[in-house]
Amino acid sequence: MCRHALACVIAVAILTAAGPLRAVEVDASVAAILERHCVACHGAQAQNANVRLDNLLAETTGDRRAAETWHDVRNALNRGEMPPKEAPQLSSSDRTTLLGWLDATLSERSDLASGAAGHVVMRRLNRSEYQNTMRDLLGLDIDFVKNLPPDEVSPDGFTNNGAALRMSALQLEHYLNAAQNGLARAIVEGPAPPAFEHRAVETVVDKLKTLHWSNRLGRTGTFVARIREFPDEGEFVLRIRARSEAPPGAPHPRMHVRLGYRADTQTPSRDVAEVDVPDGPARTFEFRGRIEEFPIQSRAQSKYPGMLVWVSNTYSDGKPAPLGEKVDFEEDGKIKQKLVWPVDPAFPAIVVEALEFKAPVFAAWPPEHHRQLVAGAPSAREDEAQSAAAVLRRFMRRAYRRPVGEADVAPMRRFFGKVRPRVASFEQALRATLAMVLISPDFLYRIERQDGENRYVDDHELASRLSYFLWGTMPDQRLMELADRGKLADRGTLRVEADRLLGDPRSWAFVEQFSDQWLDLAGVHRVAINPNYYPDFDPSLKQDMRRETQHFFAYLLRENLSALNFLRSDFSVLNHRMARHYGITGPRGGAFERVSLAGAQRPGGVAAHASILLANSTGEDSHPVERGVWIRTALLGDPPASPPPSVPNLASGDVDATLLPLKRQLELHQDSAACAHCHSGIDPWGVALEEFDAVGLRRSSVLRRSGDEAVEHAVDASAVLPDGQRVDGAEALADYMLDSQRGVFGRALTAKLLAYALGRSLIAADQSSVDEMTKAFEKADYRLRELCTIIVTSDSFLSR
Amino acid sequence: MARKSWHLDRRTFLHGAGVSLALPVLECMAADGRPGGRPRRFFAGYFPYGIVDRAPDSEAAEWNWFPTGDGKDFRLNKSLAPLERLRSELTILGGLSHPKGRNMGGHDTADTWLTGAELKEGHLENTVSIDQIAAMRYGDRTRYPSMVLSSDGGVGEPTRSSTLSFSRTGQPVPAENKPKQVFNRLFGVDPRSLDAQRQSLDSSRSMLDLVMEHSATVRGRLGSHDRVKLDEYLESVRQIERRVEKSQQWLEVPKPRVHATGLHLEADDTTPGELIKTMYDLVYLAFRTDSTRIATYQIGNMNGATSIAGKFPQLLGLADHMHSLAHGARKNDAGAAPLGQWDLFLTEQLAYFIERLRQTPEGDGTLLDSTLVFYGSSNCQTHVNLNYPLLLAGGSDMGLAHGSFRKFGAEVPLANLYVTLLDRLGAPVDSFADSTGALDQILA
Repeated sequence: MCRHALACVIAVAILTAAGPLRAVEVDASVAAILERHCVACHGAQAQNANVRLDNLLAETTGDRRAAETWHDVRNALNRGEMPPKEAPQLSSSDRTTLLGWLDATLSERSDLASGAAGHVVMRRLNRSEYQNTMRDLLGLDIDFVKNLPPDEVSPDGFTNNGAALRMSALQLEHYLNAAQNGLARAIVEGPAPPAFEHRAVETVVDKLKTLHWSNRLGRTGTFVARIREFPDEGEFVLRIRARSEAPPGAPHPRMHVRLGYRADTQTPSRDVAEVDVPDGPARTFEFRGRIEEFPIQSRAQSKYPGMLVWVSNTYSDGKPAPLGEKVDFEEDGKIKQKLVWPVDPAFPAIVVEALEFKAPVFAAWPPEHHRQLVAGAPSAREDEAQSAAAVLRRFMRRAYRRPVGEADVAPMRRFFGKVRPRVASFEQALRATLAMVLISPDFLYRIERQDGENRYVDDHELASRLSYFLWGTMPDQRLMELADRGKLADRGTLRVEADRLLGDPRSWAFVEQFSDQWLDLAGVHRVAINPNYYPDFDPSLKQDMRRETQHFFAYLLRENLSALNFLRSDFSVLNHRMARHYGITGPRGGAFERVSLAGAQRPGGVAAHASILLANSTGEDSHPVERGVWIRTALLGDPPASPPPSVPNLASGDVDATLLPLKRQLELHQDSAACAHCHSGIDPWGVALEEFDAVGLRRSSVLRRSGDEAVEHAVDASAVLPDGQRVDGAEALADYMLDSQRGVFGRALTAKLLAYALGRSLIAADQSSVDEMTKAFEKADYRLRELCTIIVTSDSFLSR
Repeated sequence: MARKSWHLDRRTFLHGAGVSLALPVLECMAADGRPGGRPRRFFAGYFPYGIVDRAPDSEAAEWNWFPTGDGKDFRLNKSLAPLERLRSELTILGGLSHPKGRNMGGHDTADTWLTGAELKEGHLENTVSIDQIAAMRYGDRTRYPSMVLSSDGGVGEPTRSSTLSFSRTGQPVPAENKPKQVFNRLFGVDPRSLDAQRQSLDSSRSMLDLVMEHSATVRGRLGSHDRVKLDEYLESVRQIERRVEKSQQWLEVPKPRVHATGLHLEADDTTPGELIKTMYDLVYLAFRTDSTRIATYQIGNMNGATSIAGKFPQLLGLADHMHSLAHGARKNDAGAAPLGQWDLFLTEQLAYFIERLRQTPEGDGTLLDSTLVFYGSSNCQTHVNLNYPLLLAGGSDMGLAHGSFRKFGAEVPLANLYVTLLDRLGAPVDSFADSTGALDQILA
């Protein structure tokens, strides 16, 4: 309990250490408005509802109670409660001035209140970073995070924010389990385990008659292999020899492979892979995995013994798979019936020629991951302590991502000495000891030494900053060596290294994480598409939509193209499924490639990506308000204040409004003073995207339903933007963004990327550095890769 | 039927409440803050495939599991007849089911009986069961947080689960099925295994000591903001430490002494009568000695022919295995009596267990008053995931009102009952699974 008290004391200390709190800068106009409209009832004479405002003006914003009162004031204004109806009302310009001042003051205050604002705080590895780091450290690609609770999200939408990321006993126990689990596999004992092999050239045919068991996978058909003997753990290799059978130029069929077993009527399984099967002669596809990562049968109680591999064709042209037709046949003089499935030669099919399964597989014994950790096992018991120390020194340097001294290693050596007599083998004691390293704060957190106020980070801290920013994982050998030699901080070296990291496949972690969090791509999974409105929509397409935007980001980064492509572009990066969704000619397979949008009637910026349009829809229709909020937040770096309490959402408001055209509905916002203040700055951005429906497709009319009634309206995508500019539709909006908002966007992206790189929210004090970086970004023609380099070589990134 | 099949150690037995006096749980009991400071206990028992449910005007209706009539005015039919003498101690519930279970296969719902989750192809992950919520809440007050039993043992397979219990993350909790092992764990003195336990706890201790020691050196390198983060980490370590300490304390506490005389600890799947009765005996003894307060027992799973328990009726001289009996009773009236006799057999076992609890004084009441017994299935007839046959007994300490047959409409999710039960058990939740409220009608 005393710890709690201590934590509180520290927290308070931080609040006051955050710097002298500035007195409210009230410009005269705000004071005058308050004087005119509020002070008579909330001033020295009267304090209605116990609220007094005149003296608060003289107070500092640092006073917590003052801030709370200003919060209440803002809400009362937003709700239209104040001034009271009988009193003179605020003019529209007074209202805007007052609310603008309140918004600015309150958001500045929340910066201060967040305590560690502006400091890079000791940062726990988040799920993705932990997974990647464990993978690279142990040399083992298994799921280390399946039981970890989800990460905390910072107010600006990032999951790598040091202040937001928390620790709990539950979390720590998961880390310990994951470490023990991983080490049990990484460090092996005893002789090489026997390998099981299985080969099949024909599919299994089970008694389930309604399934089309087949080697040919067309519109229907599943190839199944039953593996009766298999190990409980270890790496497996699955080789499938298959060819495509498709008309020339047709899309590639897609081979989907999963591994699991049959538990009576259900089949617990996990996907192994999904790949294109291109034209040409049969080829062998090889897949690897760890068998314990897949659902394994409990052998004792199984009705259907054996592991199963299912191979199917997931290519779809949108038409439903045909049902089997009953056909008579003669057997033993009797007429029987069987199901026969029609063959469509125009449908791209896969023919499976053979399947081979082997497990466990290893190039040598002990396997590579073992030798990397335990180079040379001790031959005698008396050498063990020394061997353990050598293992520890090597391992801890990598785990702690810095040089380790005897002070670090000694307690671990002592632990090894304590554990060793209790367990049967050197390896067991070593596993227990390395698990300790993996739950120590030096591993779980990215710790930067604290000495003095501001300083440049040291080379090893920099190596971690760099690799977690651009790879989402621990520094590799080369970064560590550069840091050891004190060469990394050299800006020339940094530039070269940033380029090397971005060119490495590991940078996909950066692409995926940053684009997801910046653009809120996970939103596609929050919206359920209503099948009554979109009967043909396949929910699995949502993942392709998300990938389109990620691959678009990756492409701009790889080719070092202008980030202005996010606003307007004449191409996107699509696979076959996405191109088909958009109704344009694209790749034949599952790989994402650059596709020109000429003639596609859609601007290529992210605002017109299906991912964004769907994530900001209702699942039935567009949601212009959400879309507007998204543009303000992601592209303009100007998130609107969250809706004040007690104001109903548009959708849950007046029921009769549901049949109205959207424009008319939104005008309801403008009629109400409570809404207008914010919505005049939000809605128009979304209205301009009205030509796109909930699944991101172009439309010319909108269907509105309420109960049994349905009304069709023509799409009206004309809007007047806050600066008075009139735009009509997405093309015009994209043009406008490119012409008039590129500077604003450049700054917004710079700020987002910097916050991600530093793992903290930006504060007012960062603004001048952001301005500087934005200028450099502009000078570099907004090239995305260049922006990464600008950040990596900035003082903000190099110091703490 | 021999009633004296169990026997508490004389010393313990003579002192009555002394059983719990020997355990350092008094402060925990007091922490319940209830009159008499008695613990709250929960038992859930499950049988597969459903019961006889024929048209009320047919002759076969005499085997109907559900009573005739409703409210206080009900008559037990043959299947539940052994409960007649306990009717003021129990409530029979009709009409309840899990709405999500209705989308699932006919034999897929045993997994979700206590969880309310929906399992379907591609989404076979379960969610937490109510017994484990209660175990998380006060499991640390007893030597074992919960006791999970089934006739088949282990976890089975998704949709063919051999356990009723699922952890916080929806992982199946493996069930024990060997009475001897259960008894030894509860009361056995096995010096080797105790040593092993002590050792593993000792290593946990040294581990945590090391973490704390090491963290002190980390502290020196940190600024004030980072120290707040480090404190959060250390607090997490300390919480784990406290848990380990607690387990160590239990190691030092001698187990209650219970003689196995008369218990059929060798019972297995070839002697179903003994097995089921012994399982009930073990739950009784575990409650009686306050070794745990939470227990579940799955009498049979729905894994068809491969279920160990499927053959139980045949071994007892009934016409067919469980699955076929259930199908027979659904098909026609002629099938009612064969399944009815199996239903009756199960009821006899249950009545024996409830009676045992009722005859054991505890404080100013009985063990039954502090034990909530929940019993039933997730099929009414085979393949019908509606109108679960359900029964509540005991728990008058917790405010349950008994002596009625209560019928509910299909719109009432079974999870509503679970919200009320958890509340009564002292582990309240705002909602559970797809609950839409509570089911306070069962309360006094």
